[in-house]
Amino acid sequence: MIGKERTERAEGTERMQKAGKRGRAWAVALAAVVRKEVRQTLRDRRVMFLLIVAPLLQTVILGYAVDFDFENVPTLVVDLDRTATSRMHARRLLADHTLQRQPGGASVTTATAELRSGKAAAAIVLPPGLERDVLAERPAEVQVLLDGTDPNRAMVVASAAARYFGETAEDLLRERLARAHVPPPPVIRAEPRALYNPGLETAPFMMPGVMTMLLVITTTIVTAMGLSREREMGTLEQVLVTPIPPLVLLLGKMTPPLVIGCFDVFLVLTAGVWLFGVPVSGPPAVLAAGTLLYLVCTLGIGLLISSVSKTQQQSFLAGFLFIMPAILLSGVMTPVQAMPAWLRMVTYVNPVRYFIEVLRGNLLKGAGFADLWWRLGALGMIGVIILFVATMRLRKRMA
Amino acid sequence: MSEMAIEAVGLGRDFGAFRAVTDVSFSVEAGEIFGYLGANGAGKSTTIRMLCGLLLPSRGTARVAGFDVGQKPEAVKAAIGYMSQKFSLYLDLPVRDNLDFFGGAYGISGRALPRRAAEVTELCGLGGLGPRITGTLPAGLRQRLALACAILHRPAVLFLDEPTACVDPQARRLFWRVIRQLAASGTTIFVTTHYLDEAEYCRRIGLMAAGRLIALDTPAALKRAYVPGRVFLVRGENLAATTSAVRAQPGILAFEPFGAGLHLQAEPALWNEASVKLAVERAGGREVVVEAADPSLEDVFLAALGRAEPAA
Ligand SMILES: Nc1ncnc2c1ncn2[C@@H]1O[C@H](COP(=O)(O)OP(=O)(O)O)[C@@H](O)[C@H]1O
Ligand SMILES: [Mg+2]
Repeated sequence: MIGKERTERAEGTERMQKAGKRGRAWAVALAAVVRKEVRQTLRDRRVMFLLIVAPLLQTVILGYAVDFDFENVPTLVVDLDRTATSRMHARRLLADHTLQRQPGGASVTTATAELRSGKAAAAIVLPPGLERDVLAERPAEVQVLLDGTDPNRAMVVASAAARYFGETAEDLLRERLARAHVPPPPVIRAEPRALYNPGLETAPFMMPGVMTMLLVITTTIVTAMGLSREREMGTLEQVLVTPIPPLVLLLGKMTPPLVIGCFDVFLVLTAGVWLFGVPVSGPPAVLAAGTLLYLVCTLGIGLLISSVSKTQQQSFLAGFLFIMPAILLSGVMTPVQAMPAWLRMVTYVNPVRYFIEVLRGNLLKGAGFADLWWRLGALGMIGVIILFVATMRLRKRMA
Repeated sequence: MSEMAIEAVGLGRDFGAFRAVTDVSFSVEAGEIFGYLGANGAGKSTTIRMLCGLLLPSRGTARVAGFDVGQKPEAVKAAIGYMSQKFSLYLDLPVRDNLDFFGGAYGISGRALPRRAAEVTELCGLGGLGPRITGTLPAGLRQRLALACAILHRPAVLFLDEPTACVDPQARRLFWRVIRQLAASGTTIFVTTHYLDEAEYCRRIGLMAAGRLIALDTPAALKRAYVPGRVFLVRGENLAATTSAVRAQPGILAFEPFGAGLHLQAEPALWNEASVKLAVERAGGREVVVEAADPSLEDVFLAALGRAEPAA
């Protein structure tokens, strides 16, 4: 009786010791893989460039270049009236610097040629007899010629011109009513006031997009190529005869891109705050959680890619084949609401979509867990599923 | 004798419809150097990869270091070292980082790791190379580094798949010195090679052809079994012109040019050294010397292939 108990206890202890020993061996192996990965990453200039310099460059370039705030749009004034009135309208129309007058525009024909050559993006044609018509209180027509190749810019010019002449017409009407001693009619005016990003600037809107794209590009491709490289070099076979379990190997391989991904977020965010005044208005914990979950997704996709491709080249290509549609269908570039219904369905399984929403909500609108929890949940779920499938596939291939 | 270090029973592997290894059975004693010989594509690497747990056998079973390869692959992995046919260490890392990684992979940690790394570096003659980038090392040193990484954890069984391919003779000799030292200290060595001279270092050898194990024994026994008669070497000048004269001599079983000389295999009863010498000299050979030689494993290999082929 006692003897049996003792052997049972001894067996239990032994089992625990065995498990402890195995756990320790795995920890040692994991540390070895991480050390090796870090050393290789630090030695590989291309990877370091991809992970550190490229994000900074892209932040700065995209931040400055992708700017939908149109100012000083080159504009021709074709003044066919040549009167005090026409000159006054031309001056006042240009006063808020949305439009900038370009030399030229002697006639409608030359203006058209100049629009075609790209010297100007719009031409305001003030017709002959403008002053006479206005003084005689007859209708007058001002023509706005637009270069429509850039629809956004064309819209900006059109609305600036429409607003100005609309207000001018309203002023004329008031004057006329005042002269006739009629009280002015009631006016309903819409007064837009942006609650978030009050200046309606592009950079704060774009910066989350830049972060989202950077992370998916760098971490997915680096992870996908990392494993293919080992396969190609034959080192994978050498690693597989060691007692390292495949899961420990994969965990170790994911660590450096995970750390660098977090670092990239920090880097880009700092640059965004400092250079472009991106607000950080939400709780940082949500930002951190979102970033981590998103990285789990992007790394998992990298592993998944390396489980289906044989060479580094295949991995690289597959990475881009995934990234392109993932970004286009995320709402980074164009709003998800504007997509056809069937495409919108696809965005529900796209981790990029959830992360951009978390970032924009958190950074620009100050949204916290209460607003973003289901997106974080979706990210987590997608990440876990992808990671699970990828490791199962890889374990099978490695065994 | 306790348990065998390696025991394969009817081990076979197919790739699709192709039989890469056809049901081989053999056992290797602890501390033995066992050579596995065969031409390219004979199935040597496939056999090793099954024994290391890298490849699942299609048929048969194998026990390595006392563990079943199919059932306890983890225990097998912890007990063996493996040098793959293709050099497979991290070329972009320095020598010491490769040692550090594989040491950790085998669960060696703390102060034991650098101590053990220093030991194997010493044993393999890699002293002072720690900071060198692995990719810049000459082939011979790389090979010994791969060996060093494979023995960090003191494996009971060491698998070497063509370890000395593309290595110069001097480096090969150095490499084999280390291997014999390891075997002397009790490590079982399973080595494939297609250098027949290296097979002489092995206690026993297995000959593989087209996926089959066609012969297995000590080199001496194989020679006795496959090369009846005696082997002679004819040396001298201008021997190329004399081949037909030699062939016409009675009792010549086999015949082939060997370096600058001629390699003869002869029926002892019919062999007449003086008449062969005379015939060579008449045919134009000068300064002719005929001497008895040991049969080489090449002779054995050719004879074994000859016997196996009609049967197959
Ligand atoms: N993974 C594989 N898939 C298909 N055929 C293979 C594979 N590995 C080896 N083979 C084939 O099996 C045969 C034996 O190969 P191998 O064991 O590498 O020979 P050896 O090492 O003796 O040169 C060869 O014909 C080779 O083409
Ligand atoms: Mg081979």
